Formats: sequence, structure tokens, C-alpha cells
Amino acid sequence: MTDAAPDFEQLYEHAPCGYFSTTPDGRIQRVNATFLAWTGFTREELMGSRFPDLLDVGSRLFYETRYLPVLRLGGEAREIALTVRRADGGLLPVLVNSLLLPRDDPEEIRTAVFDATARQDYERELVAARRNAEASELRVRVLQDASSAFSRAETERDLAHALSTSARESLDASQAAVLLLDERGALRSVGGNDPFADFRSAHLRFPANDAVDSKRPVLLPDHAAIETAYPALMGAVRDARIEAICATPLLDQSGMALGAISCFFGRHRQFDPQNVELQAALARQAAEVLGRVRLEERLRRMALHDQLTGLANRQLLAERLGQALSSAERARTPLALIFLDVDGFKTVNDGLGHAVGDAVLREIADRLRTVVRGGDTIGRFGGDEFVVVCENADEFAARSIAERIAAAVRDPLPGVPARYAVTASIGIAVHQPSGADVTPEGLLITADAAMYLSKDAGKDRITAVGI
Amino acid sequence: MSAITDGFDIRLRNAVTETGRTDGRPVVFVHGFGCSQEMWRDVAPAFEDSHRVIRFDQVGAGRSDLSAYDRGKYDSLHGYATDLLQILEELDLHDAIVVGHSVSAMVAVLAAGRDAARIGGLILIGPSPRYIDEPGYVGGFQREDIDSLLDSLDANYFGWSEAMAPVIMGIGNHIDLQADLTDSFCATDPDIARHFARVTFLSDNRRDLDRVKVPTLILQCREDPIAPLPVGRYVHAHIPGSRLVMLDATGHCPHLSAPDRVVRELRTFLQ
Repeated sequence: MTDAAPDFEQLYEHAPCGYFSTTPDGRIQRVNATFLAWTGFTREELMGSRFPDLLDVGSRLFYETRYLPVLRLGGEAREIALTVRRADGGLLPVLVNSLLLPRDDPEEIRTAVFDATARQDYERELVAARRNAEASELRVRVLQDASSAFSRAETERDLAHALSTSARESLDASQAAVLLLDERGALRSVGGNDPFADFRSAHLRFPANDAVDSKRPVLLPDHAAIETAYPALMGAVRDARIEAICATPLLDQSGMALGAISCFFGRHRQFDPQNVELQAALARQAAEVLGRVRLEERLRRMALHDQLTGLANRQLLAERLGQALSSAERARTPLALIFLDVDGFKTVNDGLGHAVGDAVLREIADRLRTVVRGGDTIGRFGGDEFVVVCENADEFAARSIAERIAAAVRDPLPGVPARYAVTASIGIAVHQPSGADVTPEGLLITADAAMYLSKDAGKDRITAVGI
Repeated sequence: MSAITDGFDIRLRNAVTETGRTDGRPVVFVHGFGCSQEMWRDVAPAFEDSHRVIRFDQVGAGRSDLSAYDRGKYDSLHGYATDLLQILEELDLHDAIVVGHSVSAMVAVLAAGRDAARIGGLILIGPSPRYIDEPGYVGGFQREDIDSLLDSLDANYFGWSEAMAPVIMGIGNHIDLQADLTDSFCATDPDIARHFARVTFLSDNRRDLDRVKVPTLILQCREDPIAPLPVGRYVHAHIPGSRLVMLDATGHCPHLSAPDRVVRELRTFLQ
């Protein structure tokens, strides 16, 4: 028994792992020979110095933010990976287990240290490999998710929304906006959140404008970069808590710019080439889909609109009239249907030819657009017959619209001799909330019949019928 | 009653804990990077006799709702400031004292700069508006140091998911309860921890300091390797009317290493 103490002493000093004890603030009180041998310090150098001071910077940060809280709260910390700086400046990766002995007075932390050099090299490689794999997987996943979201888009708006979501997620941006060029060549926000939406009309230049014009990404990593290139935007940038901006042009296959994606960041950023390329790849995909969506939108428009005048065709008219009727019945509001036939049109067509006839119909369609109310639907019913659906219009309101229509049609037509002047015979069917049940067809038949009353009574006049 | 904001129940999202007197002045404790609301274990209870005490987990930490972690939102500290403001509103707090540690000291600064309507004062423990040195500014770190921290996180979270799998599958039943509890201290999702580390240590919020218009106390430890004294002085100089108090404590977490002294300073400020 008397020999036991030196044995334990030996075991402590030369154990196959490092041991030391510290005060709660990390000052080394005892340390074994193994730890000294591994680190190359003398006992005198280590006694009284602080263990965290032996760590490299990253480990030091981890020690303060995680190791110590876990140890304090749980009484122990296990398998913590740290890197110790040795006396010769070399680095020693270690795994440590620590116990806090609170019952002792003063408190003490006991720590066992294992050499993790081999483990760390192996793990470093694995982590690096995993990160690489994750980075390329992320790229593939972003592009795949985007492509399936894009393929579901039916409108420009759907597509812009899907693109802004993909762009935002792939760059961890706080906001993203998709801007498309309109017919006049101005950039319009179509999807996402545009922090500059309120300023777009102010004739300022934005990063998206320059991305479109230069056909290259515009990268603004911090306020200094934004202020240099876009000083006028700084107020808006500060208000929206933006620290960095990245704008990527949307280019179609021929290289024409269709618009841009703008990503906005709440923190200054260094944009790495991979991320910039990923944005460009998203933009290419979106530009391709945009072509498809725009074509479909045009076809849909053509299917529902009259080719000659661009007004709603019979099918769209019937749809709108049905919707208007059910909402009028729900809201108990009046609904008026104006039916007009162009008097003298046959004479124009026969005397001046179809080309002039078509031009006259187009001119009348344009005039109708300017005299009806904002929400009214105008349709070409066939030949020289037009229909206007007026929601929330009683007989008085419908008559005043009809009078404006009659005056507009009566106005001389440019390039058409006076003897070919045309007028409008108009019939109005007004459905009152208190009136009988009626179908869209019923309304059309009534308005058509009222129009014939006007025609029979001498043309260029208005007849209204309640229903 | 709990309202839904941004699609989330705020109390559940941030695992909000309320203790103390419902009629007391609210004190909201906000934990920093690396841990959870458990950090306040030795400090918060001291105020339960006199105050309404609120603790919560930042999204990604502790028992918060991980599904609420939107990387774009939390790519700047403003995402966390938004959450703090939402919690103040959800609990309908008035004249609240916000106690923020470390990075969350800056979260509190951002929140107070944006909307101080519900905030009566700030207590900042070990704040730093910028960890990396800049011309004319000493933050204490270089960009490479942050990469070194990310390496350290990788080393520590390596195999994290593999280690958790048996526990989730129920194979880990033999592990005794105490060990399980120990594991759960400062529970953090590794990917989120990595992102949070980047956001914490790469943000630059120096410009936001002078927007704080509420009474502010800065608690500075003697030897804080993460937020050293020059940084505490910088914060003090840039928050108008703030008070800087040196704590006789070492390290970055005085609320764990010297809770009594922290409680004393908090009490003095509250009076």
C-alpha cells in the first residue's frame, strides 16, 4: 500500500493522454509530463498561465463561445476539438474532455487531452470533400428547383416570382426583385420585392439598368461601391437597410437583354465567381422560359380577342358577362349591357372596299375605348356589332355612356368622304337588383332587340329596356 | 393567445420563456452566438421577484423552430433585430430593458435604432460592432481568424448528424438522462451555427451605434478575448450618453463566470 502513491504519480505524469487542472478562468494549476512533452513547454512556463492563451484564434473563439458555456451549464464538456499552439509555434490538434468540480472550494476544472493529429487530417479531408460535394449539389439543386418552378409558370408574373425566389435563396439575399423591359424600354418590377419600387419612375439609374445596358453583372459589395456608382440611391439604400447589391442581366439566346434580377443584401458581401455564375445560369434558364411564357400569353390573348380590333371576342364577352351578372346579383348592384350596330357600314364596305371598312371598324373600336368607363368590357360581337358590359350602371349611367358612344361614332372619320358618314343604333338592357332572374343570353337578346327598336325608329338613337 | 406573424407563432418560433411578476417592468435577456437562453440561468432568476423576466432562443439555437431559419433573413443581424422587435410587440411589452450578450448586444442596438417605442434601456454585455480590424479601428481580429473559427466549428460538428442518428432512432436509450441533458446544453444546428458565425463575425454595424437614443449600460470584462477593452470604449464613445462599467471578471461570459457581479450591475442600472 505504501508504494501505491508513487505508482499513481507515475500513472498521472506519464499517462497516454495529457492532464491538467485549472482555475475556473483557465489558469493552469497542475499539468502532467505527457502534456508538456506534446506541447514542448516546461512546467514553469505553463504553471499559472491560461489554457485559452495556448489555443489558436479559432479554437479560442470556440472555447469562449461554446466550450465554457457548456462546461459551466452542464458541469462537463466532452470531445471538444481544439488546436493548441506548441512552444515551437507548431499546431497540435487535440480532443479534450473537461469536468468542472464545483463542490471543491475553490472551483477547479480538470481536463484530459488526446492527440487528434491523425483524426484531424482525416476529418479535414472529409470536410473539404463534403463541402465540395455540397457546393456542387447546391448548384444542381438550385437549378433543378428553379427549372421545375419555371416550368409551372403560366404568366410573366409567375415566372418573375419563381425567379426572384430562386435567386434570393441561392445567394442568401435578404430581398430579390425581377425587372423586365416593357414596350417602351423601361424596366418594370414584375416579381419579388423591389426596395427601389417607389423610385423607379424618378429617372434615376439603378444597378439593374446598367446590368441590362452592359449585359454584364453589376456587383456592389458594400456601401462605398454603391455610393461611388449610384450616389443618388444612398438614401433609399439606407432606408431599406441594404449593404450590398448584385444585378444580373436576363439575356435571351441571341444575347438581347430582357431585364435583370437584382439581389439585395443586409450585410456587405464579397461575391465569389461561383455565385455570380449561378445567378447567370438562373438568368439564362429564366430568359428561355420567358420566351415560352410570352408566346403562350400572346396565343391566349389571340384566342380570346378579335384579331382586327383587339377587343374581346364572343367567347371572352360571354365569360365577362357571366362574371359581371353573378357579381351584380351577389352585390345587388345594377348591370347594363349596351349593344350597338354601325349604321351605314355596309355602304362603306361596298363603296370603299374591305380595307377601308376594316380601318373604320378599328377606328370605331379605338373611339369606344376612349369613351367607356375604366372597368367596362368592350367586345366585337360580329361584323359591325359591338357590345359594352357596364357593371354597376343603372339606366341613367348607361344612357350617358351610350350618348358618348353615339357622339364618338358620329364624329367624321378621317379619310372617309362625308356621304359615307356612319352613326350608331344603340340598345341598352339594364338589369336591376330587384328585377327578374336573367341569363347572359337573356340580357344579350334584350339589348339586341332594343337596338333594333332604335334602328327601326330611324337609326342614330338610343333605346333602353329594363329587365 | 398568440398571433401569427410572417407565418409563425412568435412565441413558439423563439421558444419564449416568461417568468417573474406579470406586473413588473419587463427585462428581456438575449443570448449570443454559441449557446441558448440557458446562458441566463444564473442571472435571470434574480429579477423574478421584482420584474417580468423574458428569455428566448435565437432562431437556430436551443428549442427554437429551425424551420423558421431563412438564410436570407438571417444573413444580417437585422433578421434577429426584426425577431426581437416582434417579440416585444407580441408580448406587448412597454419600457422594456433589453439585456444583450455578445452579438445580441448588437442585435439590441439595431432594434433600438429602428424602433425604440417599447424599449426603455439597453444593457450590452461584451458588445462589438465589428470584430475585424479596419483602418483606424481595432476590432481584435483578422479575416483569417474568422476562417479559423469556421474550421474549429467544422472540427467540432464533424459527424454531428451521424452521432445524433442513433439517439433519434431510439437506439441511444441506454444513454442516461443526465448525459442527454448535458448534450442539449447550447444545442445548435451545425449548418446554422456556421452561418451564424459568419454573420456574427463578419458584420459591420459601427454606423448603427449612434442611432441608439435610450439609456445604455455597457458591461466590459477585464480580459475579454472576443470583445477587448478598446472595442468597449469605441461602443461607449459612439452611443450618446452611454455608461461603460468595467466588470471584475475575465472571459466573454461574465453572466456565467461572475453572475453575482452582473446581477449587481443590472440592479444598479434598473434603479
